[in-house]
Amino acid sequence: MTVLLRAIVAAPDTGVGAELGLGAVVGTRAAALVSPWDVSRVPGEAELLDHHRVIQAVFERVPCLPARFGSVFADDPALRARLLEREDALASQLARLGHRCEVAITCAWRETGAAPVPLASAGSGRAYLERGLERAHAEERRERRAEEIAARLIGELAIEQAFVRHRTCPRPAVAVSMSALVTRDEIDEIGSRLERLGAQLPDVTTVVQGPWAPYTFAVSE
Amino acid sequence: MTRDAGTLDVPLVELVDRLLNRGVVLTGEVTISVAGVDLVYLGLSVVLASVDTIRRAGAEV
Repeated sequence: MTVLLRAIVAAPDTGVGAELGLGAVVGTRAAALVSPWDVSRVPGEAELLDHHRVIQAVFERVPCLPARFGSVFADDPALRARLLEREDALASQLARLGHRCEVAITCAWRETGAAPVPLASAGSGRAYLERGLERAHAEERRERRAEEIAARLIGELAIEQAFVRHRTCPRPAVAVSMSALVTRDEIDEIGSRLERLGAQLPDVTTVVQGPWAPYTFAVSE
Repeated sequence: MTRDAGTLDVPLVELVDRLLNRGVVLTGEVTISVAGVDLVYLGLSVVLASVDTIRRAGAEV
């Protein structure tokens, strides 16, 4: 039976799979929790969000590493072979990250830049070039401002550098996309501090999401 | 200056970005696709396109 990988847990925590109606492929130190998957099925938003719900349900019960959506295996033995290849690295990551939560902090621009001028109305070549130059300068100003905002967020978080990842201006609407790895007992305090800081940033709307399983920090090594 | 309606989708896009681009990978044997795009080729720009596609498809149903 074809299966979709949901999350990795420590081998002794395998029982959580049965509790949540998931299958389990067990190695020596780690176990993979899976759901049946029909390969002819075309996933959309519902399947993505369901993947998140399954991972969150596991994460609320035991430490886990979330799986990137989309790893499908022909059957349990095929998955077990892959699991055993990477088991030591996965067990180390679980011990380091599994009990920590990811908080997502997004600062979205309140206003976008001026709408691009259509080429047909460009006028003279000089005017066209000047507009292009002004747009490039505006983008540089935004990038600098996004870096300032990111620095303030990092200062406010006051956690180890290794536990923060961020990108500035990853998309036109977004100034900063940041992930912080925190313990559960830090969440309320950090949320309050970010809320206060957000109120001092007039040009962005700050959205804090989580706690999530540590997606950003659980990587393939 | 214009208000960006895309801002409304920011929380969803942030989550979808993590679901598709972060997390542990044990390379599977089958590639599945989202909105007709193989996941192996998905980058953030395609994720955005996929969300847009998904939303349009939802509106048409």
